[in-house]
Parts: sequence; C-alpha cells; structure tokens
Amino acid sequence: MLKTFAPRNPNAYFRRLILPLYFLALVFAFGCDNRYDDERMQMEVQQLDSDLENRWSTSGVVVLATTPNGPADKADLEVGELISYVIAEYPIRNAGDFNSAMKKAIDEDNNLVLHIKDKPPLRIAVRRLGDKVGLKVEGSGTVRVEEIEPGTPAANLDIEVGDVIEKVVDERKIYSLADYKKTLGDFSKLQVTFRTSELIGVKIAAVTALGELGDMRAVEPLMDIFTNSSELSLRKAAVSSLERLVELSALNELFQQFQAADVNQLPADSLQIQPLESAAILGLLTFDLAENTATLKAPFGTQFRHRAEALHQKINEGQLVELAQRFIQLEVEPEQEIRRACLSMLGVLKPTSAIDALVAVLKNSAEVPGIRFQAGLALSQIGEPAVDALITAFEGADPSTKDIAVSALGGIGSTKARNLLIHALESAAEPAIQLTLVDAIAKIGDARSMEALERQRARFQEDDTGIRIFLDEVFKNLQPESM
Amino acid sequence: MKNCKLSYLCLSLGLAVFIVACGTQNEHLSKGKELIKSDKRRKEERAVREFKLAVQQQPDIAEAHYLLGFYDSQEFYEPGMPAWEKASIVERGNHMFRAYQAEQRKYLETLIFETLRDDELDVQNAALVALQQVYRKGDRNRLLSQLEKAMKSNDNRDRHDAHWVLGHLGKEDPGTLVPILVKLLDHGRMETRLNAVKALGEVGSEQAIPALAALIESGSARWKRDREKPEVRQLAVAALGKIGGAAVPELVKIVQNKGSSLRVDAIRALSNLGDEKAVVPLLDALKAQSSREVVMPLAN
Repeated sequence: MLKTFAPRNPNAYFRRLILPLYFLALVFAFGCDNRYDDERMQMEVQQLDSDLENRWSTSGVVVLATTPNGPADKADLEVGELISYVIAEYPIRNAGDFNSAMKKAIDEDNNLVLHIKDKPPLRIAVRRLGDKVGLKVEGSGTVRVEEIEPGTPAANLDIEVGDVIEKVVDERKIYSLADYKKTLGDFSKLQVTFRTSELIGVKIAAVTALGELGDMRAVEPLMDIFTNSSELSLRKAAVSSLERLVELSALNELFQQFQAADVNQLPADSLQIQPLESAAILGLLTFDLAENTATLKAPFGTQFRHRAEALHQKINEGQLVELAQRFIQLEVEPEQEIRRACLSMLGVLKPTSAIDALVAVLKNSAEVPGIRFQAGLALSQIGEPAVDALITAFEGADPSTKDIAVSALGGIGSTKARNLLIHALESAAEPAIQLTLVDAIAKIGDARSMEALERQRARFQEDDTGIRIFLDEVFKNLQPESM
Repeated sequence: MKNCKLSYLCLSLGLAVFIVACGTQNEHLSKGKELIKSDKRRKEERAVREFKLAVQQQPDIAEAHYLLGFYDSQEFYEPGMPAWEKASIVERGNHMFRAYQAEQRKYLETLIFETLRDDELDVQNAALVALQQVYRKGDRNRLLSQLEKAMKSNDNRDRHDAHWVLGHLGKEDPGTLVPILVKLLDHGRMETRLNAVKALGEVGSEQAIPALAALIESGSARWKRDREKPEVRQLAVAALGKIGGAAVPELVKIVQNKGSSLRVDAIRALSNLGDEKAVVPLLDALKAQSSREVVMPLAN
C-alpha cells in the first residue's frame, strides 16, 4: 500500500492527497451512525433501533455479518445474535495489576466481579464515580487482601484479609454502538467474552403465530421448545400454541367434508353441530342455522382445509400425547398453566393410554383443585374406557377425589357409570357428596336416573336439608320441558 | 328630472333584488335554521321537516340540501316507511352532494373541513358518501387537492379525516390514489406520513407495496436522516398486513432481517394472513441462539 505513495512520477503530489482522502473515506465508512465494521473480530455489527430497546428492555448490537474463518466466525458467533454485554478478565499478578483493573472497571461501569480463590465470584458495585471499593492488596505472583476499609462496599462482602485474588472481571453492558466501539478499544489487549441476549419477544411472536397458522411442520419445533427451553414465557407460548394445534386437528373431520366437496360453504345441516361450534369459536368459520349455511372464513379457514389432514396425522403420531402425559404431573411441571394446557390437550386427544396418569392427577391431594377437576374433565372426555378407573378412584378415596370422580362419571353418563352413581347416592351419607351425585345423575337425565332421583326426593321429603332443596330445584327445572 | 328617473330606477331595481333575495332565503329554510338554534323539543326532527319543504319549493337550494343531509335521521321515522328509507346514510350523502352541486367551492370545503369532523358517525359517513359522489361526478382535481391540503394541515383532525376519505376513494380507484398517497410519504410532517401510510393500508392495493417496503427498510439505513420514524414504519408493516397476498414476501423479509425492530409486528401480520409461506421463516426465527456467552479468540 505504501508503495503507492512513493513520489516517483509527476502525479506524486496528487497521490499524496489520496492518503487523507482515503482516511476521510474510512471515517465515513466506519463512522456512520448505526453500523460498525469490527476489524478485530472481523464482523459487522449494527445498533438496535431505539424502539426495540424500549419494547423488550434489551439493548446491544446485532451481528450483521461475519467474515468466514475470522475470529467471530471461528467462535461460532451467529448472524442475528444480540451482543448485550462485553466481558473481559484482568489477570492479577501484583498489586499494581489489581489497582489498575479496579480503576478501569469502576470508572467505566461502577460494576465489577471479583474472583477470590475458593469462594464464589463476588459482584461489587459502587454508587458514584470515584467511590472507593475499599480493598488494599499486596504480593507479587500471589496477590492477597491486606486491608479492608470499614464502611466501603468491600466491607459488606464475604472478603477476609488474606484472601487470594485470582482475577477481576469487567462486565460492561452495551447500550449503543459507541459503547461497543469504546469497550472493544478498552479491551484491545484482553481476552473478550460476548454475552448475547435471546430476542425472546421475536420467538414468542413466532411461536404464537405458528399456533395460529395450523401447519403440521410447527408441531415438532414447538414440542422441542416446550420441552427444552429455559425461558418460561416461551414455554408457555409454545404449549398454548400446541393446545391450539390440537384443537384445530380435532376439526379435521369437519374440514374434510369441505375438502371432499372442494368448497368453502356447505349447508349447515349436513355437518355436526359440535365441531361447527368449536370451529366458529376458533375463528375458522361462521355458520347460520336459519340460513342453513356454514362458511369458511378467509383467509385462514379457507386455507386451513388444505392443511387439516396433515396436521391431524402429525398431532396423532403419539409423541404429543406422551409429552402431555408427562407434563401434567405436578412433580415434573411446577407451572400450573402448563399442566392445565396439557390436560386440555389430553381431553381433546382422548388417549386411553393416559387414563392412569390422569387418575393420578385427579387423586393428587397436593394438586390445586382446578387442575384436578381438569383431569376429571379429560377423563370424562375419554369416556367409556375411563369408567372403570374412575370407579376405582371413587371407591377408595377421600371426599374431594370422590367429588371429582362423580362429576367425571356424570359427564360420561354410560349405563355403567350411571348405575354406580345411583348406587352411590342410595348409600351415601355425607351431604356434600350427595349433592354432587344428584347433580351428576340429573345431568345424565335418562328414565332410570330420574326414577332414582324421585326415590331420593321421597326419602328426603320430610327433611329441610340442602339436598331436598336441591332435588326440588332439579325437578322444577325439568318442569318446562315435560310440559 | 333625469336624475329623479334614475333614482326611481335604482329604487325599483333594489326593491326587486330585495324581493328575490327574500325569496332565496327561503322561508322554510330560515324557520328550520331557527329551530336548530332554539332549545325546543325534537328541534332537529322539526327542522328537517322544514328543510324538506324548502327543497321541495326550490330544488336547487344548496343550504337546505346540506342541512337536510346533516340533520335527517332514521331515528325520526318508523322503519320501512318511505321517509325512513330517505333518511339513509346514502340519501343523506346525496343531499350533501346536491348542496355541493349548487355551490361547489363552499360545500367542498365545508364537507372536508367541517362535516367530517362532526361527532356523529352517521354525519361523517354521509359526508363520505357525498365526497365519493364528488369524486365520481364532480371536480375531482379540486377534491383531491383539498384532501391533500387537509393531509398536510397542522390540525390532527383534518389529517385524520382526510386519510379516511382517501382510503375509501383509493379502494375505488387505486390507480389514481396510490401515487398521491405515496407522494405524501415524503412530506416533512411525520403525522402526514403516518396518515398516508394508514390510508395505503385501507386502500389495500398491491401497488403500494414497493413504497411501503422501502419505508420499512429505511430503518436499517446507514444515516439517521434516511431513517423513517419507528411509529411510521410500524404502521407500514400493519399496512402490508392489510394488503396481504402479494405483501407476504415483504413481511417475510422483515422477519428475516435480524437487525429489524419490526419483526414482531411482521410476525403478527403474517399470523393474521394465514399464508403458509410464513411457516418456514417463522421456524427459522425459532432456531436463533438462546442467550449465551461466547468466548472470543485472543487478539493477536
């Protein structure tokens, strides 16, 4: 490069001008206000927009590009990562090292981390610029604490005279591109570590959108995030997206009717009312019984009919059931909202393999009542195959378990369930369980059930108990129908 | 003598003018206007009756038409009756348009800068109908230049009302309106640009995609002066979402731009559109690294 400037020909004078121009261009290229070519790391970074900063209280610089085989690339730094801290270590070999490291770290950020031999790292923060940390050290090779000044930050920490100081770590939060440039300049001779922040907001939005879109390709990645992410908010978003995908997949039969006819509108009376209602709640279609029409809503409803079958197959492959079954357990999943979502998925998928796990939740007295009821609901959605397990649960159990099991059996309403409930009502003594039994039997409401309730009414005729009032109420509500 | 004749002539002419003027200030019209000013019960309903009589007498009386369009309401009549039908928004708008036809300049300004501002939604909608008529049958250029003026006004209500009308006109005739709105994206006032972006969203025409995309991309421009304000860019993403269809690739581009602050907005817009082209870019967004520490090699 320098050769160019050798004054060998008449143009030399002009060429000399090139040098300042070149630097000027350099200043322009690198000095622009939101990008920076980092020569040391061989990558280009960009400052985050201020609105993004406000949105997720994140700050830093984003990696825009890395040079292949450059330091950034070799360290596996990825494009799109947000560098929000730059960290460097000052090795401490003598008192001078310590004092200068202290001064640098405190001057820049009022914040440093002290590594003491055989102790966990200590974070020290001083309030004002120029405040003293309050440590005096001595030694060469091995640096020890000599004196701790009372009333300083150091005095409040777990430091003793004689402790061996290994290193001082300077952690700097990056708010702007200028911060980044300056920090890298300060650390030019040191080993540097970048701490990156996940843009959790983007991921949550993506996870939620994938739930909305109802595409089978999202199932596995969502399951992966749900199982492996350490971010609770992201896991919650993933599980609620999975819940929606499960609900969507349950509408497959309905959507196949549209697909078979290759239309977006069908007569409402040619379709089952229950899936129609759920599809309307999920915003996929509108239906009008008076006009006898069911119309898929554009854009999503009309597009989903092409995806329904694939999604249905993917959801029913079995892994999701296994996963949900695992995360309904209080011991596995501390987050109630996630356990609830998993129970709700099992209720839609109705796997008989989950019956035992569901009964375990129903019986778990450490579990919150709402979740136990949700487990009962899932069992009643499974229906007939769950009856035996529910009866067993009912028989040897405490009142609250009995209560939930009775509600679930009432929800199933099969002959076997009904007979058990009637039998239980006739022998039940506690008023609370009697009420639940009456309610469950009334919900079944066939001839045998009503006869049984009549018998109970006769039995309690003279009483002025809650059960009699409740029975009267039940029969009163039935009146208009029989008239 | 000659002088005397002249003054007679003047006098009689003046008298004639006076009588004609009295006739123009239609009796029913004045009565209706007085009613409106009064605090009588059901004054609007009674005033409307007068305005109707006024336009019956003088079919080209601008003010009566305007006031009839302004004050008539279906609430005054039994549903299904002829008078009820005639009090529909469209009919009210037609009356306002008749006022415009009789006195173009005056009522164009009134409609844009006053009527649209009324608190009543029905009145605003009637004004919109009237302005749509002006666009179809009246002085289109003047209408557009007045709306542009309102978009550039320093009063937020003017800008808001104008963007609303422009959005509706644009649905009818995107070929003419989109370029006008796109030009407004360069206006110096941020709120004007904001309303132009909103109107482009309302229009929903694919023609607006390149301009909106450029505006969004300006967020990663090197120089601050080239970067549009975040508020405007955010609305531009929402506008792309309203356009849908052909705008999906642009929204996907935003999701893929790791430095963009509008990725979440773009993702939301895509999820509303339900387009399966969004699935792969969204899955890619999930693959981004979690928070971690990366040790960089030592400087040489």
